[in-house]
Amino acid sequence: MSIEIRGVSRNFGEFAALKDVNLLVETGELVALLGPSGSGKTTLLRIIAGLEYPTAGTILFHGEDTIRRDARSRQVGFVFQHYALFRHMTVFENIAFGLRVRPRALRPSKADIEARVMELLKLVQLEGLAQRFPSQLSGGQRQRVALARALAVEPKVLLLDEPFGALDARVRQELRSWLRRLHDELHITSVFVTHDQEEALEVADRVVVMNKGQIEQVGSPEDVYENPANPFVMNFLGSVNLFHARIHDGEAHIGPSSVPVTAAQDASTIGYVRPHELDILRQHNGEPTIEAVIKHIHAVGPTVRIELARRDNGELMEAELTRERFADLALKAGEEVHVKARKLQVFTEDYSI
Amino acid sequence: MRSEKIEGSTIRPRLATEALPIRILLILVTLIFLGLFLGLPLAAVFTQAFAAGSGPYFAALKDPNTVSAIKLTLLTAAVSVPLNVLFGLAAAWAIAKFEFWGKNLLLTLIDLPFAVSPVIAGMIFVLLLGKFSPLGGWLDAHQIKIIFAVPGIILATTFVTFPFVARELLPVMQAQGVEEEQAALVLGATGWQSFWRVTLPNIKWGLIYGVILCNARAMGEFGAVSVVSGKIMGQTNTLPLQVEAFNDDYNFVGAFAAASLLALLGLVTLVIKSFVEWRTARHEQ
Repeated sequence: MSIEIRGVSRNFGEFAALKDVNLLVETGELVALLGPSGSGKTTLLRIIAGLEYPTAGTILFHGEDTIRRDARSRQVGFVFQHYALFRHMTVFENIAFGLRVRPRALRPSKADIEARVMELLKLVQLEGLAQRFPSQLSGGQRQRVALARALAVEPKVLLLDEPFGALDARVRQELRSWLRRLHDELHITSVFVTHDQEEALEVADRVVVMNKGQIEQVGSPEDVYENPANPFVMNFLGSVNLFHARIHDGEAHIGPSSVPVTAAQDASTIGYVRPHELDILRQHNGEPTIEAVIKHIHAVGPTVRIELARRDNGELMEAELTRERFADLALKAGEEVHVKARKLQVFTEDYSI
Repeated sequence: MRSEKIEGSTIRPRLATEALPIRILLILVTLIFLGLFLGLPLAAVFTQAFAAGSGPYFAALKDPNTVSAIKLTLLTAAVSVPLNVLFGLAAAWAIAKFEFWGKNLLLTLIDLPFAVSPVIAGMIFVLLLGKFSPLGGWLDAHQIKIIFAVPGIILATTFVTFPFVARELLPVMQAQGVEEEQAALVLGATGWQSFWRVTLPNIKWGLIYGVILCNARAMGEFGAVSVVSGKIMGQTNTLPLQVEAFNDDYNFVGAFAAASLLALLGLVTLVIKSFVEWRTARHEQ
């Protein structure tokens, strides 16, 4: 079922949590609402669920206006950030809840409920924990119970609020790819909220970047990462180096070096370069480069991060090299090197981060 | 051998940092104080009640006035406790789960019966509903007796005991927030289903605790009830009032026999209270 958000605004007193938000989530899509805290992403998710009401605008499920329908009748599955499991019920009872509270005419038989719960426990890989209480489960297990409980009522839409927010890094990574696989299996229209760009880029089909109650950019993970619409998106999706650049004849000049860009006008501007787009050279190869001194080397993990200071103005930069490249160069702190940007992003619109 | 000893001896975390003599002194002071002000009077109640043997004791309990007082006390508690459960649930629910104007005022008002002397609480009802007030005059003209009758006693008791349930439920409900109810709602539960299946089981022990305290106070209330009751023997005397009545008559066996019932009630309340506290503590683990 598709979800259409039309001109949704929400004010909390003076504070505008959402400002005229428009978005279409296609049937079967997995969409991430990504943004810093206070960007309105959770409010938007709760409005879709019917747990919150918009000040203006409406929500359409499959083309049908649902704003007048309450949360109870919207048939959405909602996974709360802190799971909100019923603490006095076993895992089994938690998952069966949505089926048990149905009106008598629609309620499945006892045997059917049991079969359905067991099937869901298998799906979330928690067979054998049916009789445990939520307090006896780990964070990752609780998360999966919450998901199974939401799926039990066969929702048309699945909404997840910071689904991995309260988990430690390892479990988080596991659950992420598990959720992706689960979605590929079930194909249920899903929206999840996150402030973690890595999570959004890895799991979602499409990423909606939000800031201050508005949508900054919508696109596939590659799209928003490679072609950010503005400095906010650029900055939010990963670390970035800022350079004062002069644009002249389709080239951005940083110090003596230059990078081709697609800017129309000649101007003084700020260029944004991702750390992995900076290359370090030992020898001057004829091309104009930025001269810099290596300050720190962080060689933990699959890539090596190198902190550099420019010779001309002392500004700091961060470069990211592959392990192989780092080994070839055999760099050490304090050495003088040449830095070159492979790709530089400029935004014509004046924008402050 | 040595390692075994280390393994076997559980090292207790030292809670107190004070020196041993100070600790002993503190414990002694507490025990002596408790013994003097609680243990001794409690023992006295029972020794006095049985001073003339168990015959007069049970005779005193079978006194028609005592029986009537017991019945009235039970009736009062049976009406005011359920009323306060309803009120307490409603108030705690409203305060913990909704945002509304005047919430702080409501919180303060709930505590009012704790702040006001019970005698004054009784006086308020006499002034409000007594014969010489406009409302009381109307009631009198319609032959409805409230003051110096059973309804007045129930009214005063309900007033004095109404903070208990609400006060016990509030922190429990506030701590639990609204997420579980919202989860129930999204899963398709009606408000009624959500209350019975989610809210009530979560606040069960807090509610029981509140009911016990409310009941103990309802049965033991003296001040407010003494003002509104009129103290008609065999009609409007509750157990605490009957104790006073016997005492004024120099019927000490009767007074202490009736008092022993109230003391027993107190002890039973304490036992249930400890049990509930133990359950809640275990539940939270």
